[in-house]
Amino acid sequence: MANNGLGSSKQSGKPENSALITQTNLECKNLYDYLKTRPRTVLEKLYNHPAICLAVYRELPELARQYVIRILFVEQPVPQAVVASWGSQSFSKEHTYVTKVLSELNVWVEDSLPGGLLGWVLAPTFKKNLKVALMGGGKPWSMSSALEPDKNPREIGFLDSYSSERWECVLHYMVGSQQQEGISADAVRILLHAGLMKRDEEDGSPVITRQGFQFLLLDRQAQVWHFLLQYLDTVEQRGLDLIECLTFLFQLSFSTLGKDYSTEGLSSGLLIFLQHLREFGLVYQRKRKAGRFYPTRLALNITSSQNKNIPILEEDTPKGYIVVETNYRVYAYTDSNLQVALIALFTELMYRFPNLVVGVITRDSVRQALRGGITADQIIGYLKQHAHQKMLALEAKQILPPTVVDQIKLWELERNRLTYNEGVLYSQFLSQADFNVLKEYAQSNGVLIWCNKEKRTLVIHKNAHDDVKKFWKKYSKGS
Amino acid sequence: MGPPKRPNYKPEKASKKRKKDEEETWIPEEEDTTENEGAAVPEAAARNAEKNDEKIQEDEFGAKDYRSQMILKPDNVSRPLWVAPNGHIFLESFSPVYKHAHDFLIAISEPVCRPEHIHEYKLTAYSLYAAVSVGLQTNDIVEYLKRLSKTTVPEGIIEFIKLCTLSYGKVKLVLKHNKYFVESPFPEILQKLLKDPVIQECRLRRTVEAEGEDGFITQVQDKKSALTFGAKPSTSTETNSEGTAIPDDITNFYEKMDNEEDEEESNLETVSFEVNQEKIEVIQKRCIELEYPLLAEYDFRNDTVNADINIDLRPSAVLRPYQEKSLRKMFGNGRARSGVIVLPCGAGKSLVGVTACCTVRKRALVLCNSGVSVEQWKQQFKMWSTADDSMICRFTSEAKDKPMGCSVLVTTYSMITHTQKRSWEAEQTMKWLQEQEWGIMVLDEVHTIPAKMFRRVLTLVQSHCKLGLTATLLREDDKIADLNFLIGPKLYEANWLELQKKGFIARVQCAEVWCPMTPEFYREYLVCRTSKRLLLYVMNPNKYRLTQYLIRYHERRGDKTIVFSDNVFALKHYAIKMNKPYIYGPTTQSERIQILQNFKFNPKVNTIFVSKVADTSFDLPEANVLIQISSHGGSRRQEAQRLGRILRAKKGAIAEEYNAFFYTLVSQDTMEMAYSRKRQRFLVNQGYSYKVITKLSGMDSETDLHYKTREEQGQLLQQVLAASDIDCEDERVPGEGGPRGGPGGNRRVGHMGSMSGADDAVYYEFKKSNVNKHPLFKKFRY
Repeated sequence: MANNGLGSSKQSGKPENSALITQTNLECKNLYDYLKTRPRTVLEKLYNHPAICLAVYRELPELARQYVIRILFVEQPVPQAVVASWGSQSFSKEHTYVTKVLSELNVWVEDSLPGGLLGWVLAPTFKKNLKVALMGGGKPWSMSSALEPDKNPREIGFLDSYSSERWECVLHYMVGSQQQEGISADAVRILLHAGLMKRDEEDGSPVITRQGFQFLLLDRQAQVWHFLLQYLDTVEQRGLDLIECLTFLFQLSFSTLGKDYSTEGLSSGLLIFLQHLREFGLVYQRKRKAGRFYPTRLALNITSSQNKNIPILEEDTPKGYIVVETNYRVYAYTDSNLQVALIALFTELMYRFPNLVVGVITRDSVRQALRGGITADQIIGYLKQHAHQKMLALEAKQILPPTVVDQIKLWELERNRLTYNEGVLYSQFLSQADFNVLKEYAQSNGVLIWCNKEKRTLVIHKNAHDDVKKFWKKYSKGS
Repeated sequence: MGPPKRPNYKPEKASKKRKKDEEETWIPEEEDTTENEGAAVPEAAARNAEKNDEKIQEDEFGAKDYRSQMILKPDNVSRPLWVAPNGHIFLESFSPVYKHAHDFLIAISEPVCRPEHIHEYKLTAYSLYAAVSVGLQTNDIVEYLKRLSKTTVPEGIIEFIKLCTLSYGKVKLVLKHNKYFVESPFPEILQKLLKDPVIQECRLRRTVEAEGEDGFITQVQDKKSALTFGAKPSTSTETNSEGTAIPDDITNFYEKMDNEEDEEESNLETVSFEVNQEKIEVIQKRCIELEYPLLAEYDFRNDTVNADINIDLRPSAVLRPYQEKSLRKMFGNGRARSGVIVLPCGAGKSLVGVTACCTVRKRALVLCNSGVSVEQWKQQFKMWSTADDSMICRFTSEAKDKPMGCSVLVTTYSMITHTQKRSWEAEQTMKWLQEQEWGIMVLDEVHTIPAKMFRRVLTLVQSHCKLGLTATLLREDDKIADLNFLIGPKLYEANWLELQKKGFIARVQCAEVWCPMTPEFYREYLVCRTSKRLLLYVMNPNKYRLTQYLIRYHERRGDKTIVFSDNVFALKHYAIKMNKPYIYGPTTQSERIQILQNFKFNPKVNTIFVSKVADTSFDLPEANVLIQISSHGGSRRQEAQRLGRILRAKKGAIAEEYNAFFYTLVSQDTMEMAYSRKRQRFLVNQGYSYKVITKLSGMDSETDLHYKTREEQGQLLQQVLAASDIDCEDERVPGEGGPRGGPGGNRRVGHMGSMSGADDAVYYEFKKSNVNKHPLFKKFRY
C-alpha cells in the first residue's frame, strides 16, 4: 500500500532538467554507439574482417539479428514492406528502431527494386565476411596460435592477478595514491585526452576530473572499454592504423583465455599497440621480444555491451568488501588506497584500521558527490557491485538496505526540484479585460506558465508564442 | 611520472560542518535547572576515552588513521573486533564467536549502534564501572579484549580500562542482619579507606571476637546455590556449530571467565567492617570522593529483621531468556545488586520487575510516572504473582487503598515528591512510607525523572535495593550518566533487533511520510514568527489529509491505530474533525480509562488521538499502528518511547513481514524535516530503518477526505492564524521541561494533577477556590 513515489517522480522529473546537469557527465558508449559515429568508409574497411562482422552481429538487437540471418543468403534486395511484415504490428516501434540501427551501422543499405519499391540489401562486404565468420572458409581469421609449447606457461590465475594489478595501476594513478609505481607518459596522455584527468593550472601535473571520478565508479569491463575507445581516438595521432588496431582488438576478444598466441606476422604498428595493451594488462608478455603473448580476461568479450553482465569477469574483480548498514554506516574491508579513495567520494570517513575503513553516508557527503557529477545510481551501483558477501547472504531480495538506497536517490532528487521552462513574458496590458482574455486563451490551450493578476503579467510557453501572438493581433484588431 | 595532486574539490571536512548543523538544530529540552546541587559523582567518571585520539593524525580523506597504532594479527579473520584508541569498538555480528564477544562487550561497554552486520560499542567510565560491579576483574577485561581483537589493542585503551576499573567495584556496602558493612576482598583497600578521618568516624566498633588482628571481620562466603526465576522454558544448550574455526584462546578464556563467576561465589575471602547506620550517607559520599564508590548490595536472604512477604511467581509466569539473563545479572551472587535494566518497550519489563520483587520477598515499592500505569502495574502483579488485592496497594490521588501494612505499594513519583500540603490521609501514608525499610524499590521509566526529583525520592524512602527499568537510557541533556551513581550501574541492555527476530517484540515498519506544504501555508510559514511555525506545519492540510487517509486505510484492515500529537490545538482539531476520541492532559482519569477500555474492547473504536501524556507506560497491547503528526522537537527518546507503544508482540499474523506500522508525518521543507532526522537516530542505531514515503498510492481514489478544496484550506489557515500563542506550544507534562519561555502561567489550572493523576483532589480544589469561590463555601477551607 504505502508505495513510495520514487519511481514515478523520478521519471517525471528527469527529461527537462537533466540536460542542465548531465552536460559534464561521462558519456559511456557501447560498441554500437561507437561504430555509428565512424565514417562509412571506416566501417566498410572494418567489415573486411570476419571477426568484426561477427562481433557486430552479436551485438545487434535480437530482432536485427533475425533480419540479418533471414536475408543473409538472399541475393537481391528485399522490399521494405516485406521486412516490416515479418514482425507483428504491435512491435512496429522495435522494427523502426532496428531498421535505424542496421542502417546506421551500414549493415544493410537501401536499394530500389525494379518496380520502384525500396528494399533492403546487406552491405556486400559485411555479407561476405559474416558468411565467413559463421560458416568458415576463406583465410583463417582468428589469431594464429601455431606455436611450440611455452617453456614457462602461464596459469589463468596468474594472468588474472597480472591484469588486475596492471589495471589498478592506472586507477591508482588517477586517484593519486603514492604507493604505486607510475604509468607511462602515453597512458597519461590518454587519460588527459579522455578528460578523465586534466592539467593542474598551477604546476601542470595531472589531476582527476569529475568524469574521472565517474569513470572510477564504473565496473571494470566498462572502464576498459571506455578507456580503449579513448585510446582509439588518439591512435591515428601516433601513426597507427585505426582499422588495424580495431581488428586486432576484435580478434583478441575472440581469443581463448590461458592460451598463448604468436606475435609473428604482426605489423610494426600492431606491435606498438600490443605493448600498450600490455601496459594496461589486456595482454601478458613475459618479455617485450618474447614472440608470444597471452590475452587476459580484460581483453576477452571487451566488445560485448555492459548491460549484459557476463559473470566471466566476476572472478577477476576483487571480492566484495563493503558493508552498508541501515544506519548509513559504511564498513569497507580494505587496505587499498584506491578503494578507500573511491568510498571517500561519497562517504564521510571516520576511522581507518589496518584492514577496515569506517565511514558514514551523510546528506553532505552524498551532495558533495552529486555536485562532482556522480549520480545516485552510480553510487548505489558501486555499493551493490562491491557488497560484502555477508550482505549477499541475506534472505532479503535487496542487497543494500532499501532505506539507504531510497535516501540516496531522494538526496539526488532534492537537487532537481526546480523545473525549467522557456517562456515569453507578456506585460503592460492596458486593461484588466485584455489581460483576462489573453490569460483565458492561454489557459485553455494549456500554454500558460505563470500569471499575476495585479501586475497584469503572464508568461507563456516559448513555442506557443507565435500562436498567442497571432491570437492577440486578431483580438486587438477585432475590438 | 609522479603521482598527480589530489583534486581541488575533494570533500572538505564535512564533519565540522555537521557539528555546526547539529548545534543549530539542538533544542534544549527537559533541562533540570538545579541539577547539579551536590551531585556526587566520582572524578573518574569524567574521564573520557574520546580524548585519547585527539592527537591522532587524519589521513588524506579526513578519517582518523589508526593504522600506525595497531598491528593486524595474522589470524584476524577468526577474531571479531577492532578496538579504536578512542574507546569505540566494532564487532562483526557474523563472526563465529559473536555470542561470546557480545556478552562480554555488553558487560563492559555501551552499545552505540547495533544494526545487522557490524555493531559499535563504546567504552566509557560508566560502562566499566558497571563491568566491575558485576564482578569482572581488570586483568580479565584487558586480557579478553586483547584476545578478541583482530589487532593489537592500543596502549591508551588498556590504560583507560585500568584507570577506570582499578578503584571501582572493589568495595561494597552490604546490609545483613540489619547491620551495614563495608566489605571488600582486598584488605589493603579497606586499610586505605580507614586512614581517612571521615570514614573512621563512620566506623562502628563493637568488641566482637570475629575481628582479626587488623580489626577486620574476615569471613569466607559459603557456596550459594544459583537462583532460579520462575518456571524456566526448556533450556536449549547451544553448542557451537562445528566447522567454524575459533581460536582456542578465545574459547578457553571464555570458559575460564564463566567458571570464575561460580568460583568467586564459592570460596572468596572477604574482609569487612561495620558502619554506623546513621552515617551511611556520609560514608557513601566520602567514598565517592575517594574514588572508591560503594556498591550497594543487599543480602536479602540473611535479613531477618524485615519480615518476608508471602509472594511468589505463578507457575504460569515464564521468563524469556533475556529476562532471565537480566535478572541473573542482578542477583548474580545471591545478593541483590542495585542497577538499571534496559529492555525495549513491550519486551516485558514489568515481568522483570515483578520477578525481582518475588525473588527478594521483602516489602516492595513500585514507582511509576502516571496514574494509568499504577493501574497497569497492579494488573501485572496480579497476573504474574500470587499477590492478591489485599497485598497490593495503590497510592494515588484517586485510588487510595489503605496502604498501611501492605506488601507491595504502587505509586507515582510525583505522589512521593509532592511538596505542597497533602490531605491528612495522604500525609499519614507518607509518614508510614518513610518509616519503612523497603526491601526493593522498582523504578519504572527511570529515564523520565529529573535527577532532582529523583534525589528527593531517594532521601524520602529507604530501600535496600533499587531496580531501574527503562527502554531508552538516554536523555538529550546527557544527565543520564548520573543515574549510574544514584541507582547503580546498567546491569543489562537488550538488543532490539535480536528480540524482533526472535518474535519477542513486534516487527515494525517505520515510515516517514513527506507531506508537501500547500502554497498558502508555506507562504505563511516563511513570513511568520517562529512560534507560529510549529502550528503551521502541523496543521498543513496535506498532512491532515494523509492522516485521514492512513487512518481509514488501517481501519479497513482492522488495525488499531493511535495518533500522537504533542500540539494540543492540532490534537483537538484533528480529533474533533474526524470524530475520534482523544486524551490529553486535562482529560480526567476515569475518562481516560473509559476511552482506553473502549479502544481495547469496542470494535467500533479503532482509532484514538493522544497527546504526549501517552508517551510512556500506556500499555495498549492491541495497538499496532501509530501515526505521529507532531512531536517534541528532536527528542530521540520520545520517538523510541512512542514506538514502544506498538512494540508488544502481536499474536498471529506471523506470515506478514511486518505486523506493526509506525508513521511519522513531516511537512516538507520545514523544520520538521531536520527534527525528524534527529529523532530517528536512536532507533536507527538500534537497527530500525525508516522508509521514506513521498507519495501514497490510493490517495486520489479517496474522494471524501477533508480539506480538499482551496476554500476549506483557506478557512483552516485563518483558524491557524487566529490561534493564540499558547496553542502553538507543545503540551507540557510535569517532570519534564523546565521553563521554556512563553506564558506558561495561563494554563496552570488543573494542569499538574490531572495530567499524571498525582495530585490529590483536595489540593486541586483548594487551588481553585483561591480564585473564585462562593462565599458560602469559604468556611470549609482549612
